[in-house]
Amino acid sequence: MAMSINKRLSWRQSVEKVMSRLVQKSPSLCTDLPLDNSDICTKLYLLRQLLKSCFGPTGRLKQVHNNIGGHVITTSSSSVLLPAISSSQSFINLIKTSILNHVSRFSDCGLFAAILCLSLIEQAKQSGLSFSVAIKLNKHLLGLCTGYLQQEDCGCKVKLDFCSSHNLITLARSIISSKPACVLTESEALHISKLAVHAFLLTVPCNRPGEVRLGKAVTVSVEGHPVLNSAVFPGLLVDAPDVSGIDESENMRSNPLRVVLFSASLAGDLSELGDGIFDVHPGVDTDLQILDRLLELVKQVVEDEVKLFVCQKVIHPVVQQHLKSRGVIVIERLGNPLMETLTQLTGAQPVATLHTTIPAKAYGEVRDLSIIHFGSRTMLQLHPPGESSICTMILCHRNETMLGELKVAFQKTEHVLRLTLREPSALLGGGCTETHLAAYVRHKSIQEVPETLSALGCSQAELLLGAGGFCRSLESVAAALEHDGGNSLMDLTHAHHWTHPADVMREHLDESLGFCGCGLMEGSPEQRRAYLNTNYPQFSPAPLSRDTAVQPRVLDSFAAKFNALQVAVETANLALDVRYLVQDIN
Amino acid sequence: MCAVQSVGMLPVEHLHLEHVLQTVCVLESVVCRSFGPEGGQVLFTQDTGQAMLSRSGARILTALRLEHPLARMVVECVLKHSTETGDGSKTFIILMASLLRIIHTTACREPHVSRTHTSKAAAETASARHLADKMLAFASEELDDLIAAAVVPYGCCLSWEELSAKSQAHSNNPCVQNLLASFFQSRVGPTHCDLMSNLTCELLTNWKFKNDSPSSSLHFIRDNLAALHTPVSGFPISFSRLVEGQVIHRDFAAPCPRADLQPVKAVVLTGYLQPKLLRAGEVLELGRGEQSEERNIMDFSAWGERSLECVLANLQSLGVSVLLSAVKQSAAVLALATQAEMSIVECVSEDELSLFQRLSGATPVRDCRVIEPEHVATLTFCRPILLGAHRYVHVAFHDTEEKITVKPCSLVLCGLGEGQTDQFACALKDAMRMLLSTWDPIGITAAPFKQCVLEPGCVLPAGGTFELLLNNALLQHGSSCSISDHTNKGVPAVSQLLAKALLSVPRQIYYHSPRRLLQTQTRLLSLTKNHLSIAHNKILTQSHREDGTLTEPCRGEVLMSGSGLESVSCKSQVLLAALQCVSSLLRVDAVLRTHTALHTQSHRRTNISWAGTEDEAED
Repeated sequence: MAMSINKRLSWRQSVEKVMSRLVQKSPSLCTDLPLDNSDICTKLYLLRQLLKSCFGPTGRLKQVHNNIGGHVITTSSSSVLLPAISSSQSFINLIKTSILNHVSRFSDCGLFAAILCLSLIEQAKQSGLSFSVAIKLNKHLLGLCTGYLQQEDCGCKVKLDFCSSHNLITLARSIISSKPACVLTESEALHISKLAVHAFLLTVPCNRPGEVRLGKAVTVSVEGHPVLNSAVFPGLLVDAPDVSGIDESENMRSNPLRVVLFSASLAGDLSELGDGIFDVHPGVDTDLQILDRLLELVKQVVEDEVKLFVCQKVIHPVVQQHLKSRGVIVIERLGNPLMETLTQLTGAQPVATLHTTIPAKAYGEVRDLSIIHFGSRTMLQLHPPGESSICTMILCHRNETMLGELKVAFQKTEHVLRLTLREPSALLGGGCTETHLAAYVRHKSIQEVPETLSALGCSQAELLLGAGGFCRSLESVAAALEHDGGNSLMDLTHAHHWTHPADVMREHLDESLGFCGCGLMEGSPEQRRAYLNTNYPQFSPAPLSRDTAVQPRVLDSFAAKFNALQVAVETANLALDVRYLVQDIN
Repeated sequence: MCAVQSVGMLPVEHLHLEHVLQTVCVLESVVCRSFGPEGGQVLFTQDTGQAMLSRSGARILTALRLEHPLARMVVECVLKHSTETGDGSKTFIILMASLLRIIHTTACREPHVSRTHTSKAAAETASARHLADKMLAFASEELDDLIAAAVVPYGCCLSWEELSAKSQAHSNNPCVQNLLASFFQSRVGPTHCDLMSNLTCELLTNWKFKNDSPSSSLHFIRDNLAALHTPVSGFPISFSRLVEGQVIHRDFAAPCPRADLQPVKAVVLTGYLQPKLLRAGEVLELGRGEQSEERNIMDFSAWGERSLECVLANLQSLGVSVLLSAVKQSAAVLALATQAEMSIVECVSEDELSLFQRLSGATPVRDCRVIEPEHVATLTFCRPILLGAHRYVHVAFHDTEEKITVKPCSLVLCGLGEGQTDQFACALKDAMRMLLSTWDPIGITAAPFKQCVLEPGCVLPAGGTFELLLNNALLQHGSSCSISDHTNKGVPAVSQLLAKALLSVPRQIYYHSPRRLLQTQTRLLSLTKNHLSIAHNKILTQSHREDGTLTEPCRGEVLMSGSGLESVSCKSQVLLAALQCVSSLLRVDAVLRTHTALHTQSHRRTNISWAGTEDEAED
């Protein structure tokens, strides 16, 4: 902005003066040009440092606890961390909400998006470009990235093959190991990753014609057991505190078992009475009349040879007793979320009428029932009659905090695996995608023809300045994976990401070659590498010749990262576009 | 009692010209941040903590929650103007500030010299008031003709038949899409304006009611926008798209209908399917149920269920498989409907149901005992659609009479957050308003018998062209008047002041590149000189009116290259509205602050008129 500081100051004073005169209650807080405000800039910087320190498998954990002594959460995941950061500054909240919206759609790459977005804002400020030019350039460079990522021959993309679970497990493990607050050992992480892929595959229906409807993986968490005890069960596990007498009942032996599902309350109340007044004759007990009707209803159910009686709400104790005495297994208070899963599993239609004869087609079936004891919990496993896409995952961990984080990580993994059905590819992890993209953008922007420049309305120098900032932002995300003082580098042929530990001296560098971030490349002494965020010569990053024997060790979700990249750039652009803040503090 | 004394009980704030000017200048400084090509967003945090992003002048000013009556008066005028034309609220404020500044300087230089004024300030204020009234009178009288003679010839007429440039053979011709692109540039920013204008054009093309005037489509979209769009946050804006049919913003309460079922029959319910046993105030006598007149409670409950079964059996016989309900139905309804293989969508909003009725042609069921074939809508499909975090119901309509002319479609509006999707939806609604006032220009002249001289759809290149052309015309008009008519000395001065005030808009647009302002100015000047030398263009305008499209090389074309477009009618309305607002602002001379009814004494005072305070305030 070409406004001089003096002019701006006097202008602000006059605004404040008139605002306070205009607004009687309490004046709205106005901030002109928020990115020139030192308070906001400090907050943005702090937020970036905080989020950077959490990034990746070796990220540092954060403990979140509130001021009223509530319980402490240990986490490094953006979906838990960002909601905990509440800022009075609406500018910060704008960025936060945008990232959280991405996380709630894609479950992954939240920290990536946040760090990239904050870096882009900082780079745009440092570049000295006018914000409207920076916005246009960012959009153009984003277009280069998304165009490249969608190409068939994109050098950082891997096609996922559903014939082998190898890449799926790699993808799952990358997500689970990027959540260090789960505190898993290598083998534990692998175990959970395999279970996640197993559960995911169970929810995909196999031989069903027409529209494919995915099933559901229900998670049950059990505290105090070793992680390796976690397991996946086909079918549905429901809590059954009272299983005494189930085994003895010979009814269990008739397979399959008939099931009835009630969605209305069977506690003896009537819901659709209206607001009128009842004038009850003396000596008449309406409760008893309702109970009589319930018992009659149950009689029909028993006559129809139902063996499993499930109710979403409460069942009257007398009715329960009656059913149990006839050898029927009763499950009450199932709750709404499990009702839909159970209708899917059994094929039953929920019943909510007390007077209508229950039609035969409303009954469902389970093939088999078994009792599972897991620690202190006793559960009934309901096996579907035919092929079904319902499974239950039991997650175990030593304590509540870690279990909480593990559950979050597992659900995210499940979501990300589902996203691969729509877009069966993955991106190279470990920072290699970021460095590769940065090298690509740098190379492309140098070759930009004058026509593009005039369409953008900027000069070659401005484009180079903008592209430099954009690439540095991408590289800084890759560099943020390193937390132990090591150096981040990029090789100058394929532009993969390499890290050198801090304690390695320059002369010993050749010995610490190892593998690149994603594990596809092995170091060799001839390789030329450059430190990230330095002025290395631009080059066109060559795709690796695919040796099928070498598989990537770290993979990121394509769908999530693709969206995160766009959300990060658009959020940065939005933030750069905000010229004035007004905060109603009434 | 003495009037001065009694008024003295109330805090009185005398308003001077400077106060008015200061207030409007502060408003100007806020809206300027989002004005012109370098303008950006204003981010608001409401007291609820909700964030709102905006570039729209009207929204920015409303969100400031100004308390001062003067400022509120200005905001009200802006709102009134922007609900009519959907555009120009920032220009409104800039013009107002500029008018007031000019009035201020002129009034201070030559205040009405009169002995009746006690102070210099009062004299200035009176002089300013006089000047403002004269400017308004001049504008109401002459502006229409001036614009028609000196601005419209440089403009072009948009064709409604071809909305976007894609379908046009001559891609250089201006089209609705260009006009929309410029509008969205000022509302959602340069990075997303193309996307939004493409989407809007597509929407308009699909909703084009054939054999009907364009304004009917615009009215329809403006009035039904809430039901016609679905905001989805967490995705980049480029994911926004149109989907066929209607999206009902609710999920299926009972399982989704079978995908293979086609066509789908649906009914709209406005009430409960299961009758309530007792309405409020009714009394039900309950007995043992042994004698015939004494009923058991279960008999009543059974009666309720039986009547529900009858209704569902009736629906089944009509082949209905989807129920759209305005209210939440009972668990029994859900269960019985599931058993009858019907799906239910509950709590559908009134707007969406009325849109559904209009598109399907079916009437809603008021009394569930009487359901006839006329209540049944035929749909090509009815399936769930996952948009962001929500699963909604997606329906498409079977061929009806209306379907032949329109292709019903809905807009899925993606954005980073709610603030952004809101902003886009508001901009879209205002775009409809802007197009409406472009197509049905209201004559700005006060005289009722005078016909509107603006032709529908007249546009000019954006970037201050209107103001510069009009400025030129006003200056010429002023000089010609002063030569021909020596008796009326006021008029030339007024037109020159108005001309000067207009320049503030292009100055603000090119604030960051004064060089470009000069270039534009020179280009326009040379153009108008050429215009004068060439014979009058009436013949040209005539031929262009006849075939409706722009075939003759009109002067407008020289200007049209490159830049965006803006509507002449919107521009002229802004000017007049700003003048009206200025003149009414300057008529106020004091603010009285009355007490609220909480105060015992002032209780009576609130009931009496302003004039009455003089006599009654003492007790």
